Amino acid sequence: MPIEIAMLFAWMLLIVFLALVACMFEDLESDVGSQSNPNSQVQLAPQVGQVHRFFNKAISGEAPAYALYCTVAGVIAWVLLSKGAHPIIAIPIGAVVGEAVHVIFSVTAHVGRTTAQKRFEQPIYLDVLYGHIMPIATHGFMATLCITAIAYIQSNLGTLSGNPGLDHPFALPMLAFIWGITVGAIGSSTGDIHYGTEREFQDRPFGEGKRVVYHGKITRYADCGVRTQKDIAAFCAKFGGPCTGLTFGVIILFENWRTLVGMQVARYLPNLEAAAGDSAAVIGIVVGLVIGVAMIVGNLVLVRWARKRYGTFVGE
Amino acid sequence: MTVGGGPVVEEEKAEGFTIPPDVKQLGIIAGVISAVILIFPGLPAVIKAVGLILALVWGMDSVRKTSKYGLGTGVPSIGVLAMGYGIVGALVGIALVSKVVSKVGDSVLAPAAALGGVLLMGVVGLVSGVLSNHEKIIGMKIPKLEQGMTELGMAGTIAMLLQFSIVAGSLNFDVVLDKAISNGLIAVMFILSCMAMFHPYNACLGPDERRPRTMIVSVEVSGLLCVILGIVVAAVATTTWGVSGVVDGVLLVIFGAVVWLVCFVKFVRMCFEEAYSTVGTGMIKTIE
Repeated sequence: MPIEIAMLFAWMLLIVFLALVACMFEDLESDVGSQSNPNSQVQLAPQVGQVHRFFNKAISGEAPAYALYCTVAGVIAWVLLSKGAHPIIAIPIGAVVGEAVHVIFSVTAHVGRTTAQKRFEQPIYLDVLYGHIMPIATHGFMATLCITAIAYIQSNLGTLSGNPGLDHPFALPMLAFIWGITVGAIGSSTGDIHYGTEREFQDRPFGEGKRVVYHGKITRYADCGVRTQKDIAAFCAKFGGPCTGLTFGVIILFENWRTLVGMQVARYLPNLEAAAGDSAAVIGIVVGLVIGVAMIVGNLVLVRWARKRYGTFVGE
Repeated sequence: MTVGGGPVVEEEKAEGFTIPPDVKQLGIIAGVISAVILIFPGLPAVIKAVGLILALVWGMDSVRKTSKYGLGTGVPSIGVLAMGYGIVGALVGIALVSKVVSKVGDSVLAPAAALGGVLLMGVVGLVSGVLSNHEKIIGMKIPKLEQGMTELGMAGTIAMLLQFSIVAGSLNFDVVLDKAISNGLIAVMFILSCMAMFHPYNACLGPDERRPRTMIVSVEVSGLLCVILGIVVAAVATTTWGVSGVVDGVLLVIFGAVVWLVCFVKFVRMCFEEAYSTVGTGMIKTIE
């Protein structure tokens, strides 16, 4: 195997690893700031009389929010790179600026939402405001840093692996935007094991829902004392966060792997002959479909096995 | 994801900080001023930034108007929709400018053709508003949706065109394509303008939301946008470190930073004062 192809696979695996780390920290960050589905509970709780000590980080859906931080980081990194800075310097500086924007938006969202709930007697707790900013910024920094690095590697993939024809046609900020949306979407839909699914819905046979009267309660008390989101991050770091990272990493792995396998089997690599391009795409798509079908079947089998093995939820 | 606070009772309080133009006046004032600024691409970036802030505040006001009946999760979607209109309209606008330039030559008034894109998006917004609200078609029956969608289309397009004009220094299609679109800067323009339109109402959502407070967040986010655009202008947009480009960019960064800082501090102070109470720490209220 020529060294260029081996390098291409190696960079792909590095992207997969970065994606895993990025999405793990993204999920934990959204737990600290209550941005994904728990946010509906945080918003609702004071309206049903349940005053709480949660950080209400209602920036938007996670997908546009992460698109924002990652794009800002990407633009700053891109500006520095165009002025000749080394990527090792440019990418972290970009991520720091992205996180500064993140913190600014978090503060406006939390104080704005809490003030708009004046009539429900929800106060602004300053220790909640100040105490959550740093965990949000640090977890978010890891996610933004990894995404910006992925965008950098991908936009220079060909140059890095010795075949400039394989550079991504999109510029760095655009790739950061697309990856930001993706990481936010996956972090929003996966891994919220703390109250999105388990705690809230565990009195139904397979977790089908709970009466509205209980909404908001889950934001108030933990197993011991008043619940805060820092406990939730610690709880989720054991399973939910890594699980989300794995989801994203596996998606990136299969997605890139099928493309590279298609290119390799159709002999498109390493000379990039246009004639082989079409068959490379066809092979890649077929491999992708096979992977998709295999995963759907595997998922069905797993759920069926788990329901049969563990049965319905039986209560405390 | 977020959930709304139910139907919002309309009550504009006179107390505290207020912004003079009401909903109708603001649309006209902001629309006219930013459109006039738009047709002179040779102006300094700071003046274009003033037009940009006005356009974004107008957009935010339309988002608020459209979502006020009790829309929760839909608030961000409306802002993204506005900038979606904005990108399509801005591309149409700069294409029209190139058409005019190729027909009659490069004249001072050629950039005015970009307003064609603005009008087109106004019409598209109106049509989509009518389609959504008409009883026989979708029948959403949202009050004032038609007007809101029209304004969103126009405000989004003006905001996008002004940003093209700031970064590329021109409204010529090829120049904009080279300096603002193919290098990916359009992504940051899109997402930050979206945020300037929907984040204010989304962040202040709740029964005790107040228009002046919401508005100040929009200006604050626009200030951040100006800072980012200023960095880009100073660094890369003009012909490789042209002195005018650097000065323009640095002025824009300073302007944006001042706007952001003033509005941010003002907003947070207002919230601390207007909240139910602001306490250092405390236990939650016990419920039996």
